[in-house]
Amino acid sequence: MLKSERSICQKMKHAIDDAEKRIQLLYTSPCIYSRYILLHDIRSCMQELRLLCNAFADQDMQAMGPGENDRTFIQGNRIDLTEEELSKYTGKGGKPAYVAINGTIYDVTGNAAWAAASHFGLTAGKDLSKEFASCHAGQQILNKLTAVGKLIG
Amino acid sequence: MNKDTAVCPEYAARLSSAGDLIRKASNEIQRKNLEKKNLVWLELTGCSGNIISMLNGANPDLKYLITQMVNMKYSNSLMAAEGEAAMEQLMNIGMEDYILAVEGAVSTKENGIYNIIGRWKGEPLTALKAVKLLGEKAAHVIALGACATHGGVSAAMPNPADCVGVQAVLDKKVIKLPGCPCHPDWFTGTLAHILLYGEPELDQKDRPLLFYSTLIHDRCPRRAFFDKGIFATKLGENTCMFKLGCRGPVTRVDCPIRKWNDYVNWPIQDDTPCIGCAQFGFPDRMEPFISYNTTREG
Ligand code: SF4
Repeated sequence: MLKSERSICQKMKHAIDDAEKRIQLLYTSPCIYSRYILLHDIRSCMQELRLLCNAFADQDMQAMGPGENDRTFIQGNRIDLTEEELSKYTGKGGKPAYVAINGTIYDVTGNAAWAAASHFGLTAGKDLSKEFASCHAGQQILNKLTAVGKLIG
Repeated sequence: MNKDTAVCPEYAARLSSAGDLIRKASNEIQRKNLEKKNLVWLELTGCSGNIISMLNGANPDLKYLITQMVNMKYSNSLMAAEGEAAMEQLMNIGMEDYILAVEGAVSTKENGIYNIIGRWKGEPLTALKAVKLLGEKAAHVIALGACATHGGVSAAMPNPADCVGVQAVLDKKVIKLPGCPCHPDWFTGTLAHILLYGEPELDQKDRPLLFYSTLIHDRCPRRAFFDKGIFATKLGENTCMFKLGCRGPVTRVDCPIRKWNDYVNWPIQDDTPCIGCAQFGFPDRMEPFISYNTTREG
């Protein structure tokens, strides 16, 4: 096992221990507000685990060499689009809703925070990298979205 | 209480949270273990919707609140005094200890001249000046409603009077109760908590966790439809209104549990999508409120 893999495993173990401790606490906490805080913490542990899993998978990909790291795209259906092509995926008229962030196109059609293909005044079919950076810096959001392809051109 | 809420201890506890606090505070006041505090209610740039919402409060009602729990020192809508006499009452509060409740946004254009709340010693008193003056000295400041918490409807595009929320002009903690309007329980519960135990636990946006701890979407009775991908295509269908533009997934407040108008109903139960009125950025950033030109199925 590589040194970096060992450190990822170590961190995963910590995240699991953390989550377990909080689950134990959940059983003993009589107050619903403390329970919400604990649930929130457990969700953070899950996010950390998700991140670590991805880091692990990325290592595997690197071992396989370049060109293999497209695993996050919908299998066999990768669609690369130019900005102009992307602008058709507005989520209107039965179309899916796509947005581009940092060069990757994501499908937000079924994302709860994108009701009617709009999100806090933003609409789909656009490159929203700047807006994303100004509101969600440091948040684990992108790895939960389905990537459909790359923004090209 | 209907049978849905009777079966779940979480719902029952949350539904009665404000009422329990108020009854406890008022018992303590009657037993003389607790002192009534002064309350000043400032109405700035808005529609008076929040004081109307308070008047609709139940269990207990506003009359009980302002007679048994606090000394209501000033409220332009409720007080008997008017004109200079009313202003006298407001300006004399400066010497005493008081809690300040603010509804309506602060109009800042041209030094606040677009909203004059009265005349004091012959001079016009702007909303901007009043909120700064009274806000700095208040023991606690509670902003209620969308306009006071973040500008809301008054600050909507093109915002002709440069309206902002109360926090933008005050250099101290402002407890925020967003909603258009604010539910009577969110205010009365917060006030009772302050009387009994001091400031309630707040989230990162200074909203009390007592009322603003869960997303509407996480407690929505139609959530099963969302999870199964069964969506309404027009108003009146009793499935999930995500495709019509429901803002429940981004709005953090307890409407599904507490409901409105004496706890009887709320928008989603009445087949209307949530328009995110309790979310910062409402109304501009919550639009469109309804959309029929929707995404593909699934
Ligand atoms: S109706 Fe709105 S809040 Fe309820 S499940 Fe659907 S999207 Fe969520």
